[in-house]
Amino acid sequence: MWRITVKGLLAHKLRLALTSLAIVLGVTFVTGTLVLTDTLHNTFTSLFGQVYQNVDYQIRGTAAFSSNAAAGAVRKPISESILPAILAVPGVAVAEGGVTGSAQFIAANGKAVTTGGAPMIGMSFAADQRLSSLPLVSGKPPSTSTQVEVDEGTARKYHFSVGDNVRIVLSGSPQTFTLCGIVRFGTADNLAGATIAAFDLPTAQQLFHKPGQFDIIDVITTPGADKTAVARGIAKVLPAGAEVVSGQTVAGEESSAINQSLGLFSTALIVFALISLFVGGFTIFNTFSITIGQRTRELALLRIVGASRRQVFGSVLLEALLLGIVASLVGLGLGVLMANGLTQLLNAFGITLPPGSLVFKSSTVLAALSVGVGVTVISAISPAWRAVKIPPMAALTTHQGRREHSLARRLITGGVISAAGIILLAIGLSQPAIQLVGLGAVAIFIAVGILAPVIARPVSSVLGRPLAQILGVSGRLGRENSMRSPRRTAQTSAALMVGLALVSTMAVFAASLSKSTASTVNEAVSADYIITAAATSVPGGGLSVGATDAVAKVPGVSRVSNIYSGQFKIRQSVAVLRSVASSDLSSAVILQMSAGVAAKSLADGGLLIDTTTANSQHLVVGSVVPVTFAETGPTTMRIGGIFKPNALLGSYVAGSGFFHTHFAPNTLPGAALLTTSTGATAPTTASIKAGLKSYPNLTVQTRAEYVKAAQAQVNQLLGLVYALLALAILIALIGIANTLILSVYERTREIGLLRAVGMRRRQVRAMIGSEAVILSVFGALIGIVVGTGLGAALASSLKQQGITDIAVPFTSLVVFLVLAALLGLGAASWPARRAARLNVIEAIATE
Amino acid sequence: MTLSDLNSDGAHETHGLPSAQAARAVDLVRSYGSGDTEVRALDGISVEFARGAFTAVMGPSGSGKSTLMHCMAGLDVPTSGQTFVGDSEIGTLGEGGQTQMRRDRIGFIFQSFNLVPTLSAAENITLPRDLAGKKVDGAWFDFLVDQIGIKDRLKHRPAEMSGGQQQRVACARALISRPELIFADEPTGNLDSNASGEMLAFLRRSVTEFHQSIVMVTHDARGAAFADRVVFLADGALVGELSEPTADSVLEQMKQLGA
Repeated sequence: MWRITVKGLLAHKLRLALTSLAIVLGVTFVTGTLVLTDTLHNTFTSLFGQVYQNVDYQIRGTAAFSSNAAAGAVRKPISESILPAILAVPGVAVAEGGVTGSAQFIAANGKAVTTGGAPMIGMSFAADQRLSSLPLVSGKPPSTSTQVEVDEGTARKYHFSVGDNVRIVLSGSPQTFTLCGIVRFGTADNLAGATIAAFDLPTAQQLFHKPGQFDIIDVITTPGADKTAVARGIAKVLPAGAEVVSGQTVAGEESSAINQSLGLFSTALIVFALISLFVGGFTIFNTFSITIGQRTRELALLRIVGASRRQVFGSVLLEALLLGIVASLVGLGLGVLMANGLTQLLNAFGITLPPGSLVFKSSTVLAALSVGVGVTVISAISPAWRAVKIPPMAALTTHQGRREHSLARRLITGGVISAAGIILLAIGLSQPAIQLVGLGAVAIFIAVGILAPVIARPVSSVLGRPLAQILGVSGRLGRENSMRSPRRTAQTSAALMVGLALVSTMAVFAASLSKSTASTVNEAVSADYIITAAATSVPGGGLSVGATDAVAKVPGVSRVSNIYSGQFKIRQSVAVLRSVASSDLSSAVILQMSAGVAAKSLADGGLLIDTTTANSQHLVVGSVVPVTFAETGPTTMRIGGIFKPNALLGSYVAGSGFFHTHFAPNTLPGAALLTTSTGATAPTTASIKAGLKSYPNLTVQTRAEYVKAAQAQVNQLLGLVYALLALAILIALIGIANTLILSVYERTREIGLLRAVGMRRRQVRAMIGSEAVILSVFGALIGIVVGTGLGAALASSLKQQGITDIAVPFTSLVVFLVLAALLGLGAASWPARRAARLNVIEAIATE
Repeated sequence: MTLSDLNSDGAHETHGLPSAQAARAVDLVRSYGSGDTEVRALDGISVEFARGAFTAVMGPSGSGKSTLMHCMAGLDVPTSGQTFVGDSEIGTLGEGGQTQMRRDRIGFIFQSFNLVPTLSAAENITLPRDLAGKKVDGAWFDFLVDQIGIKDRLKHRPAEMSGGQQQRVACARALISRPELIFADEPTGNLDSNASGEMLAFLRRSVTEFHQSIVMVTHDARGAAFADRVVFLADGALVGELSEPTADSVLEQMKQLGA
């Protein structure tokens, strides 16, 4: 049996190659993602390990919120007055304080440098090179209050060189510094896309509003000292609110923080890789179904000469196993190349990785092989089962008709699975539990795959009619061929169906989100303009000092409402608290209350929460909840009102008076809303922009522009998702090409006959092309219908989160359909050429 | 309506002056392989098929009958020599021209698998015209359908018809374009004797009554007796011929040739 299987496989090399391509691509994606993730993980772990290699201990403020103790936690600075006491601890050789903050460079063209989410780090430059994470590449360390160091990556990207004057946004309008040196971060010329500006310690303390304070004190112990004893000694002299941790701990926290955000990225990639493999599974299933149909006689003959059912079943699964192993191994190899390519791509996006080789773990091999082989073998089980049921008599009868499953059985099976899928989806969406949503979607796709043959014949007939009319006999034959085996038509298009269902889901979801953005913003904001900082990802970063005063003086601006935000801990979770002045309600901000009175609550120091939070946390007006602030510690707040979901203010809102007593006095507003006497007009916009001229880091948008920018972000994300789904679509198209090649092979005699009676090659191509177009439009049509349903379900489940409108982007959906037809035609080009080039004599020669 | 009425507009309306021969081959060689393993399926054969005549080609298996037919129909490419349909030399026509010739000037009847399974009987008959994008002569179609006796089966697919009916549909398809020449390759090979008789009688009538030219490859002496002339092939060469054959004279000739 083994020999028969292997010989059978090798006899159909092309089929082998095309079928395995689906798995190869999926496995490539999985491997590439895993290798990249491991490589990045390794890179950052070793980078931080190396940066902190000389730091034996670090002293820092304790994290205000214990649940968020890793890097990024809110920590209060410590007084620099404890430094002598630390130096006096026996075994301490060096102790040096440092501060950090945020600093945004202004490029030569006057525009503020943005990083697309990576932090814009401002920090003090350590005097002791052993403690410095920033080795100098060129120039000198900063020694005056007007000197700054920049990282090599930023310097290269924005053409900064030593001696240049650079402008940097700190808390106010930009200040000018002289670039005195260029540094690296450890061995990297750049820290994952972040920008770094380093000042001498006194300058940094002053710039970051931390006079007489340190964020950290790094300690080196004397050689041979008992480190644990030193740590204990340090702990003894520390004031309350400070802690001492080892350098490795800090390195671990910082690398794991970066790895965590990279983890999100790789999880997303893995999801798309699995989608591709799922689609590939459909292709495998279909190919095996067809080839077993074609090999009915051969398999029956094997049964006649004594092969047992088990041997037949085994031989089909063995074929799948071999196919899966070969494809996975190829995918594994290509995946490593892909990881290499992705790192180059990251480089192109400015995320320069420190040099280091790719990390290829044995777990990656295991994962890639098991998903690749697993998907292949599982997909072949049902076809193998069909092979088992071929009676030995089939070898003797000329009629090779397959018994199609009964309609009733198909309807019942499909109905049950789709019901299960819908239930899973509903539970998953209401929880929300993303795994259940995924499982539900998978079940629905399988159910649609089972049900599709029922409608394949009539739908193909309708779809093929225009083709028959336009192309004449070629179109008619293509249409007939697609109607010949509804099951094959449905199975072939199922892969494309899944791909387009996902694309349509995202299209509907994004369109709904886009449409909702307009109404949610208009329902949350009544001000005419919104001012935001170009990048507010840095904690404590926000609008510049003086900016709101400057804009208040612009003629026509009648009111400036500052929106502050900061982290706090409520009950067990860390959340963002925003504040507005009660006087800003109605004029700038709209809060639609479902319970309580907003203005009174904001003035009284009460907490407003949105309905979603109230429902999930079971809170009502009058509830008292424990809260903790980094500055002032634990206290309680009373729920003063409940508002309907608000796009601008999020879940928790307090009055500005309350906010300022619990957050650092130098906290800057995260955004400002402008109300004008003129409304949003071009002259007013111009004068506001003129008034903010010295704050190039700020963005002024009318409400409409703000909405548009938010929608643009949605569309950008959608574009990315489309690009990732393109792989699944590609695999589906390979599946269509594969089926057509198998069909052409099966109909060799028929095509030969057509050629003999005068069909031109062009007409043969048109015939195969028509069949492909019908197949792909059929799959696309069902996919779009299913996807629209899924997208609408997804969007409506997020009603509480602000997706209030469901929009169906008809134009996009029609474009998908047309594209599917064109891509189907493309997939047919090779099989069509093969068919057109068939040797007529061989084709019509009696078997 | 009679056959001659229908045929009055001429069987070869589009191809100008007919030459005396429907088709001919000159020094035709078709060999496979090379050197020691070279096999000559056709070894310099020259033969003419008269217009308006029913010619049978006979010979033992491997004598080159089918290869001759394939080369003359432009399905196979001769190693050397020339083949003509009417006055057109097939070798000079190119792929597109050959296809067009097969569609418009030649009809085919094969031993089996003559029909496209997805098309109905009527669609199979009109297939060459449809492929050419030309109109079907309705009266001619009706006449043919009437003659082959499948009027009530026109909407049926091949799988729903008997073998004899399928072959008769294939005949009608071969005739629908009023081709200059029909090649029939063992057309009765898969039929019982009753169906064979009907089939051969129909071919005979199409020659007699409206001057269709037919070349039929066959094994069967009784079938060959329906022809006007029989040519005998052996080892890729013409080895004899008979005019006005009967089943007995054909058998006699075959015995002499040692077949």
